[in-house]
Parts: sequence; structure tokens; C-alpha cells
Amino acid sequence: MKFLNTVKEKVSALFQTVKTGTVNLFQTVKARFTGGKVPSEGGALAVPAKKKRPASLDKKKAREGWFFVLPFVAGFVLIYLPIILDSICYSFFQLDLVTGSVQWKGLAFYNAALLEDSQFVQKLVAGIQQLVVDTPMILIFSLFVAIILNQRMVGRAAFRAIFFVPVILSTGLMEAINAADILSTQMGNADGGISTGATGGASEIVSAMDIEKLFQGIKIGSGLVEYVAGAVNNIFNIVNRSGVQMLIFLGGLQGISPSIYEASSIEGATAWETFWKITFPMISPMILVNAVYTIIDSFTSDSNIVMSYIAQTYETGKELSTAMSWIYFLVIIAIIGLIFLLLRSFIFYQKRD
Amino acid sequence: MDNTQNNVRVMKESKKRIRVDFEGKTPWLERMKKKVFSVYFLKNVVWYIFRLILMIGISYVILFPFFSKIAGSFMSPSDFVDPTVNIIPKNFTLNIYKAIAVENRYFEAFLNTTLLSLVVAILQTFVTCLIGYGLAKFKFKGNTLLFALVIFTMIVPHQTLKLSMWAHFRRFDLGGVQALGIPGLFKFVTGIFNGGFANGFTPNAMDTFVPLIVLSICGLGFKNGLYIFMMRQFFRGVPDELEESAYVDGSNTFRTFFQIILPLSVPMMITIFLFSFSWQWTDDFYTKVFFLNNDVWLMPNIWENIPPSLEMSGGYAAKELYETAIENTAGIMIIMPLVVVYLFCQKYLVQGIERSGLVG
Repeated sequence: MKFLNTVKEKVSALFQTVKTGTVNLFQTVKARFTGGKVPSEGGALAVPAKKKRPASLDKKKAREGWFFVLPFVAGFVLIYLPIILDSICYSFFQLDLVTGSVQWKGLAFYNAALLEDSQFVQKLVAGIQQLVVDTPMILIFSLFVAIILNQRMVGRAAFRAIFFVPVILSTGLMEAINAADILSTQMGNADGGISTGATGGASEIVSAMDIEKLFQGIKIGSGLVEYVAGAVNNIFNIVNRSGVQMLIFLGGLQGISPSIYEASSIEGATAWETFWKITFPMISPMILVNAVYTIIDSFTSDSNIVMSYIAQTYETGKELSTAMSWIYFLVIIAIIGLIFLLLRSFIFYQKRD
Repeated sequence: MDNTQNNVRVMKESKKRIRVDFEGKTPWLERMKKKVFSVYFLKNVVWYIFRLILMIGISYVILFPFFSKIAGSFMSPSDFVDPTVNIIPKNFTLNIYKAIAVENRYFEAFLNTTLLSLVVAILQTFVTCLIGYGLAKFKFKGNTLLFALVIFTMIVPHQTLKLSMWAHFRRFDLGGVQALGIPGLFKFVTGIFNGGFANGFTPNAMDTFVPLIVLSICGLGFKNGLYIFMMRQFFRGVPDELEESAYVDGSNTFRTFFQIILPLSVPMMITIFLFSFSWQWTDDFYTKVFFLNNDVWLMPNIWENIPPSLEMSGGYAAKELYETAIENTAGIMIIMPLVVVYLFCQKYLVQGIERSGLVG
């Protein structure tokens, strides 16, 4: 009740100020039109009226800027925000979609996701582990390929065209088809005997079988062979997922002025030194961008373990799945924030004149 | 020094080229020996070969799945049990293509998807261009906040919003707006706000293009955060002097945008168009949320079920493989139009990124 009273007081005070303000304003305007003097007892606004100046260029530009971002602002406020808020609500309520009845459940779904569900936490940890392994690999690979694609060589245009094929073609549906493809190949191998060459998908290319055969003669421990086979199978995955990163790195490499390289080669720098002292610092903002992009991309792609588990849960418990994905979102935010803070101090920004 | 200088002969080869000949020149063989047997040259050659092999190898990794899918699509069922068949089919047949085209209504899906992807891609390209320009070139209060919100829309996993998106657009009243009645417009607004918890009937936008178009207009569609980010970075690289000189000549902001900035950003816009067109084309998520009843026949539909005439009996040895081959063929047919688009646009893809001068 105390709280309500204070609110009431605040509101009435506000109302009072607005009222006196409008009265003053009205008097000022009236005075300007009639040419008379503003009554001096009016208070704050009773100074001689100023001439109205047109808005400054900065202000005008700022106002025009809003027109450009208007679609996003309108969409965010009218569509995205309600969707987000609803989504948060769904994770706290039990819904009946047929009757539309709503029942408050509190943190029950979060509890269920974190404590009762036997797989969610496990998959979350596995997903993060996979990310820790994959992200550096993708970054190194895409930087390496971008540097090579930036050099002059025979068929550069053709290689560029081929390397960006996965960006365009291997997303969404094709990702699903590729995944199904690998599965069936493995099934075929397990059955034994049936030729799977033609239907082979990703893993068939440099198939794990070949490598295992290769190592059989050398008699190295089976654990190592499995690891190598896994890494080779992963190469397809990494190549497919590093298209956009390659583009961004390539753009960054193009932005480095050739005169810097020229100067360093005149001073006698080797290629190794040139890379670490020039290319790497100059490309470091791109590394941050790409690291964040890779994390976002691999976390939100459908092939991610956690995402597919959430999608699977969606079929049976929609609210539980929403609660899970909010937990997931918080984890993503935390990791991205951490990476951002870690990498930010290593970034070198070239000052432009 | 004197000797060589005296004996220089300049010969004119053609109008534009001359050849300089020295008398005391080392013979060609000598020169080649010096060149070839240097460490520098050898290092270069080794690097060159290594690079070429690596590039060809990775290209093979990228392209082989497509080749194998194409090869499998021409095979007849008997090829899948034949151990001698590896990549070249023995009994060449077009049955799988025919069945998918006719029984899975490929051409209907093709038309619908083309229409949807074109509309969505054009809208998204233009809108993200506008938003990116606004964020890059205007300093207003809340600019950084808006940019943070753009990044936020990028980070939220779309799975999170699946349920509420479905609930929102299920009750999205557009019939009222089409009739241009004020109550309809009122319903439009309330429909947006009420969303999931609203009771009572309002016409829904399921199984239409409306949800995707509305999302595209607002720059909230699939991966639009990335497009806005790319556009913003691109426009930050465009020098301010360009616009200032236009302002001095008496052009206003919008005219400057349309006549000077837009023509500049064509390569970048083609890049964004290519991304949004092809990602919409193969999109799996939004199609599942918004086109539940398969009233609008789209590309995912031709993949999901196997044509009845190609159905195998359960006992057939290579049933699994044959079905995979059918799915792969559907995949090939889905991406065929994209390959054509990509061949036309790919040179702009790199160009657009190169000119952007993306800086974090």
C-alpha cells in the first residue's frame, strides 16, 4: 500500500508539472501571436520568446536516419518482441493449445530440463566440447584457404567458385540430405558386402575404410586409427562449414594495403615473418568476427546435437523444448561474451587517416 | 659496364614492343641453370605443386558428394546389388527423375519455391540495405543499441521461437486488412499483440507467404542479422565525402541514397541476394513452421516422401540404398536451379566481399 501511495504521489506530481507546463506554453504561444508580453508570474517559461531556428544538419540527419532503420524498429517492437516475450512466457506456463487455457508452472520446465531430463545436460556439455574442438579448426582452415586463394595461381577463379559452393548449396535441406546419406552409407558398410560406392555421401570421399585399410598393414593401435578416421571424416564437415568465414577472411586480406608487404620484403622479411607481423595483426578483427560467427552458426544450425535434441523434444513437449532452448540461449550468450572478452585484447585496429 | 653499354642493340619487334639485346649476354642455358638450381626457385616450385594438389584435393572433397549423387540418380535398382558397379551405372535409367517430377509434383514445387524465394530475397536485399545504411551512416541516439539488437536476433536460436512464431502467425489477421476496413486494421494490430494467448477466431496466415514476407519486410527473416551486419560494414567503408559532395550539390538524403549509394553497392546486394535466395530455397525450418498442411507445395515436400512407383518390397536387399539414391536425386533436383543462379552470380560474390573492406 505504501508503494501504491508513493506511485500515486509521483503520478499526481507529474500531472501537475505537465499541466503548468502546458499552461505556460499556451500563454507563450498566445503572447507571440498577439504580440503582447508574457505574463511574468508564469514561471520558468516567462523569458522573452526566442525565434525558432531550423534544426541543425546533425539533428536533421539523425531524424532521417530513423527512416532508414524504421522497418527494423517497427518489426522488432511489433513482431519480434512479442514473439520473444511469448516464448519466455511459454517456458513458464502449461498451455492447452486447443482450449487456450493457461496454467502457471513456475520453474517446473527449467527444473525438468536441467535435473529430470537424463540427456539434456549431457548433450549440452557434449555440444560445447565439440565447439571447442571445431571452432579453432574451422578458423585455421578458413584462414589458410583464404590466404592461398588470395595468391596468384592457375585456376584461381575456378577454385574460388568451387570453394564457395557449400555456402550456397549445402545448407538447410541439403544438410539434412547429406546427413541421411552418411547414415545409410554406414548402414551399408555394417551389413557388409553391398557396394556402396555410388550412393556414398560425405564419408565416402576419403572414406574411413580406406584409411583403416592403410593403417592395418602398419599395425598401429586401433584407437589412433579411429581418431585419424574421425578427423578425416570431419574434414568434409569443416570444409562445408567454413564458407562464409573464408569469404570474410578473403575480404579482410584484400583490404591490406600491398605497400606494407612491399616495404617488408624490401627490408628482408621472410614469408613466415610477414605472416605473423603483418597479415595476422591486420586480419585480427576478422578473426574475432569469424570466431563469433562460427560459434553462432554452429550453435544455431540444425545439425548441432543440442538443437536436434531440442527439436526432438518439441514433438512431445513444446513448453519443455522452449525452456530448454532458453537455457541453451543463455549458455550461448555466456560463451560468446567470454570469447569476445578474451579475444578483444588481442585485436589490432589499424588507424585510418 | 662500358663494354655492355656500348654493345646494346635495341630492336623494334612491333609498334608497341622493343627488344633489348646485349652482346656479352650469358647464354640461355647458363641462365636457366642459375635460375632452376637456386633454393629460392625450388622452394617456390614445391610450394606451387603442394598448393595445387591441396586445392584440387579439397575441391574433390567438396564436389564428390554431388558427383556421387548424380551417378546414383541414373542407376536402376539392380545396380545397387551388383558389386562390380561403383560409380558408373550399368543399367542407365531416368526412372527416378521421371517419378519425382511427375509423382512428387516437382514443377509445382519449383514454381512455388521460385516465387517465394524471389519475393523474399528481393525484399530482404532491399530492406537490409536500407537498415545497414541507416546504421552505418547516421549518428542518432540508440544507434548502437539497435545494432546490438540486430546481433541479438542473430544469436537467438530459431528453435526457441518456433512455438510462439507459429502461434503468432496462426492468428495473424490479414483478411481484415485486405478488405481495408478499420475493424480489420484494428484486428491486425490486436492480432499482432495478442498472439498466443488470444482467444476467439481471427483468420490465420498459415500456409500462405504472408509470415515470411512480413518477416522479410522487417529484416527479421532467416539470417537477416548477418545480412544487416554485412551491409553495415560495407557502407562504413564508403567514404563520407561522396555523400557530402552530393549534399553540397543540393541532393537530399533519399536521393543520395538511391542515385549514388545504391548503384555503388550492387555487388554487395547481389551477394546478399544470392545468400538469401539460396538459403530460402533450401530452407527447412520456416517451411515446417509456416507450411504445415502442405497446401503450398514446396521443395522440402518433394524430398520427404518416396514416389509410390519406386517403392520397393521390404525383402529387397538394397532397399535402403535405393531409397537413399532417390532422396539424393531429389536433392540434385532441388539444387539444380541454384547451380544455374550460382554460375551467374559467383563472380559478384567475391567482388562484393572484396570491396566491402569488412572491418570488425
